[in-house]
Amino acid sequence: MNYNLLAPEILLTLLALVVIILGLLMKETSKNMLGYVSAAGLLASIVYILGNGMNEAASFFYNSLTVDPLSQVFKLIFLIVSLIVVIASIEYFRDNRNQDEYYALLLLATVGMMVVASANDLVALFVGFELASMSTYVLAGFEKKNPSSLEAALKYFIIGSLSSALMLFGMSLVYGITGSTNIPAIIEFFKSNPMVATSSLDIVAMIFLVAGFGFKMALVPFHMWAPDTYEGSPSVVSSLLAAGSKKMGFVAAFRVLVLALVAIRIDLQMTFAILAIITMTYGNVVAISQRSIKRMLAYSSIAQAGYISLAFVVTTQMSIAGGILLALGHALMKGGAFLAVALVGYMVLSDNKNAKNTDDLGNFAGLGKRAPITAFSLFVFFLALAGIPPSAGFVGKFVLFYSITVAAINQASSWLLIVVIIAILNSALSIYYYARVIKYMYVLPPNGEKIKEPVPYVVAILLAVIGTIGIGLYPEPFIQMAINAAKVLGV
Amino acid sequence: MFSDYAAFIVLLPVIAFVLTLFLGKKLYSGGALLPIAAIAGSFIISFGIFLEIYPKDGIVQQSWPWFAGMNIGILIDPLAVVMLMMVSFVSLLIHIYAVGYMAHDPAKPRYFAETSLFTAAMLSVVLSDNILQFFISWELVGLCSFLLIGFWYHKPSAAAAAKKAFLVTRVGDVLFLAGIVLLYVNMSEIIAGRGFTVPAGNFILQFKTMFAAIPLINPTQLTYITLLFFGGAIGKSGQFPLHGWLPDAMEGPTTVSALIHAATMVTAGVYLVARTFPMFAATPSTISAGVPDSLLIVAYVGGFTALFAATMGLVMNDIKRVLAYSTVSQLGYMMLALGTAGAVVGAQAVGISMFHLISHAFFKALLFLCAGSVIHAVGTNDIREMGGLFSKMKITGTTMLIAALALAGIGIPFINIGTAGFFSKDMIIEKAFEYGQLKGDFIPYAFAIIAALLTSIYIFRLWFMTFTGTPRSERHSHESPGVMTRPLMILALFALFFGFAHLGFYDYLNKNFELLTGEKAAPESGGVQMSPIVVLLPVLVGVLGFLISYAIYHKKMLDMSKLVSSQNPLYKLLLNRYYEPKIGADIIGVKLTHDVVAQSGEFVDRKIIDRLVIDNIISNTLFKLGEFIRKLQTGVVQNYASITLLGLGLLILLLRIKFGGT
Repeated sequence: MNYNLLAPEILLTLLALVVIILGLLMKETSKNMLGYVSAAGLLASIVYILGNGMNEAASFFYNSLTVDPLSQVFKLIFLIVSLIVVIASIEYFRDNRNQDEYYALLLLATVGMMVVASANDLVALFVGFELASMSTYVLAGFEKKNPSSLEAALKYFIIGSLSSALMLFGMSLVYGITGSTNIPAIIEFFKSNPMVATSSLDIVAMIFLVAGFGFKMALVPFHMWAPDTYEGSPSVVSSLLAAGSKKMGFVAAFRVLVLALVAIRIDLQMTFAILAIITMTYGNVVAISQRSIKRMLAYSSIAQAGYISLAFVVTTQMSIAGGILLALGHALMKGGAFLAVALVGYMVLSDNKNAKNTDDLGNFAGLGKRAPITAFSLFVFFLALAGIPPSAGFVGKFVLFYSITVAAINQASSWLLIVVIIAILNSALSIYYYARVIKYMYVLPPNGEKIKEPVPYVVAILLAVIGTIGIGLYPEPFIQMAINAAKVLGV
Repeated sequence: MFSDYAAFIVLLPVIAFVLTLFLGKKLYSGGALLPIAAIAGSFIISFGIFLEIYPKDGIVQQSWPWFAGMNIGILIDPLAVVMLMMVSFVSLLIHIYAVGYMAHDPAKPRYFAETSLFTAAMLSVVLSDNILQFFISWELVGLCSFLLIGFWYHKPSAAAAAKKAFLVTRVGDVLFLAGIVLLYVNMSEIIAGRGFTVPAGNFILQFKTMFAAIPLINPTQLTYITLLFFGGAIGKSGQFPLHGWLPDAMEGPTTVSALIHAATMVTAGVYLVARTFPMFAATPSTISAGVPDSLLIVAYVGGFTALFAATMGLVMNDIKRVLAYSTVSQLGYMMLALGTAGAVVGAQAVGISMFHLISHAFFKALLFLCAGSVIHAVGTNDIREMGGLFSKMKITGTTMLIAALALAGIGIPFINIGTAGFFSKDMIIEKAFEYGQLKGDFIPYAFAIIAALLTSIYIFRLWFMTFTGTPRSERHSHESPGVMTRPLMILALFALFFGFAHLGFYDYLNKNFELLTGEKAAPESGGVQMSPIVVLLPVLVGVLGFLISYAIYHKKMLDMSKLVSSQNPLYKLLLNRYYEPKIGADIIGVKLTHDVVAQSGEFVDRKIIDRLVIDNIISNTLFKLGEFIRKLQTGVVQNYASITLLGLGLLILLLRIKFGGT
């Protein structure tokens, strides 16, 4: 076995330990450098994955972990999100005495997500999920003097534990039915025993898995924790949760559900379509009436989960590729948007140390004058989230909606077309609340002086902007990458 | 070796655009040096590619997939390479000239950023290998043109002119886009229905693929596609009836007029027709069942525009407007060449038209830059206030005279010595005559020959009124600085001597479409023996025009005051530009579009859709729904857990109902 392909995971695990130990030995004032160390490790991992070919295929540890284009794409998403979050955190947590723990947990969360991306076995999948979840529970409550951060962490923890229990229960049912925890073996079993595959028990097992993954994806009705947690957590952690850990649910669902659905050949199209439509409409409608931008972004994030889960409705290669592209785009747009909000928080706090609700819409008034780079970036992210070209959001939505339209024509089913129309109307609806913020940023007069935007924030945000627009301008290689990843599933 | 760097022809000015826009203020002369260096780079690469591909009759093709079967690509064939060299060279000279001309303008970084973006977009139009990229770049040059016409946006007339240019060319752009859509539909149809396949590595909207598909496309559809393309060309190249924006565009800085509204952008329309000429040539040449003949329309529109614009050039008093009408008229000649010579000698028409395009670029850019030099010196555009400038501005006066001679097409027939315009324009007029012989239709020829006479009259009127006689107003005029006069001298050399390249040029361009499609074109029948009078006539009318202007405006042998008065209906008609601004802007623009269509649209939109449907029904419902659901988010974690479990239960129930199961 050639463990080279797992080098990023190994590197980041070791780095997390090193960061903790260094933190113990260091003076508090010099802990600021740990952010740079973590960023360097993440960057090295990204370079390593890109350099070692996105199309490698290998499996490890008795076939419980696999490296293939699908896992590599999602690992890249997780690493990029972690990287920009770490870069922004250098400023956000500057001079915080617990920085070492923060970076170590963040790196471990990243490793957990990467394990999920590679998991080829339900046990490995669960372990990865828990590693990422445990780390992020703590991260969400990292501002321990801030009650809303603690509340966010507690809610996240309680609902998260419940979902883990549901998921584990689903897994045990699957094990009971098939006698294996290895995903390919499970699929093989379903294929050779169609009677068992369509039994009630099996459907119940699948629904439990949907609930477990749906928690991470923030699909309605498993989404309730998300707005509270995203709002209360430190903005950089919200960025990680919305942009990174959310995608963990999707990669798990791609690996397990898509394959299982294809194998058991029962018609869950309508079920997923209803879930997706309810999720996107719910997210968009509730986002309209929010004044807290982080909450608005949380609901918009729920809506985006609705779009991405359209990929499960038709499960064609194109639709999965569209889902992956939108997941990639969403990671950049949403990650960047939360970081921009973090910068606005920094700006408000530097005006007034005791300010509450730093992400209130009113604080965005005249942002175009006060913090031009941030305002412009936010403008780009919002238009991209609404799906306006040329942006990653447009490319993802285009491929996804196109794939469903094609499937609708092939299956001659008019209701699938209606699903697409609803999704497009939803995109139009979302422009309302994005445009409102843009109006605040550029039309209303500023309520403060121009500020100097801290370099780490600017670097992180601009990375996300470049990614968002770059994918929009030259989408072909990314579409190819997503199609290669979708091919792994053999649909 | 140079062809590997073909992409940099476009990328260099793009980089210069970004850097100048953001850093221009801190750099020498508003950042002028960056675009100059970048465009010099583009020119060097273009010229290098020319030297590489000329000896071996090669072409450069590079292509990258973009999305959904479309591509971004580079196609440098003879047609593109001559255009690339011309655009980058003229742009380079005008950028250098602008260092002097714009020296006192505070917004220099914006100026240089926009002109270098323009150059990038124009070069991208020229070297794009597919119609989609062509269209995108085409729109970008339109945008830059809008920005630069309105460069002095604080002047209401400039802002209005920018708007007019944008809106009028938009009409053409929409037609062009419709043509692309129609083409795409037809291509899809023949791929699905007639077994046409796009070869591996090629893309559906590439010119190569389009040309290969021509025989399969329904001829009627092909005619419509070409006519829609020509609609785009009419808008961009200021052909009748969409010509009105171009004279107004003179509100921009003179350098912009020289670069965009004389030498490069306005020729994009001609270039479009030339680029897709195999499609025009393949349309049926008989008028049947109400489907017109594309080439015939191209010839008539071009010929009519040539004459029509020349008549207005006779009476304009603004030095730049005379030149603007002259540009419209000369663009008409290029279209005329494509239409008439296309019917006579097929694809060789492209060479004839392009030769006039290139030589026109040199002498018209020169005329504008000379005009700029004069305006820079005397501070007015009105030729009635000039006069007697020659003694003070010898370089400008001489170079402008050379340009005027070139525009009038002065030369010595039979021994082939003459200015650039002599070779290029006379060829067009001769082909129009051949067309007349072939089809028995001498109307295009008549357009061309009368326009040639008028051209000569108006341009020498301009020159005599500006440079000779006595000064008609008290102004301190002086020769322009060297940074401005040197580009004039270089361009003057080209206006004088470029014509001698004509045989090589025609030969080189004739190979163009063979190189691209790999098919040998059928040899055309040998040239018709021209009677001497046909060969002589264009020059004769040119000289005649010179003499008329000399007599009237220099020697004052005729009293023009009777003719030039508001009592004379013909003069009034011309001075008011055939009431085109009235008809176009006031009647069609304001009365019809704004008062009738837009107002009624606004009524429906605001009162019915916005207020009734959106406000009352959709948005109220959504807001109420949002508020209601928001209340579900109680913040109590027990409720969250219950909802999660409730949802799980509902899902299981749903599937249980659906599948029954055991």
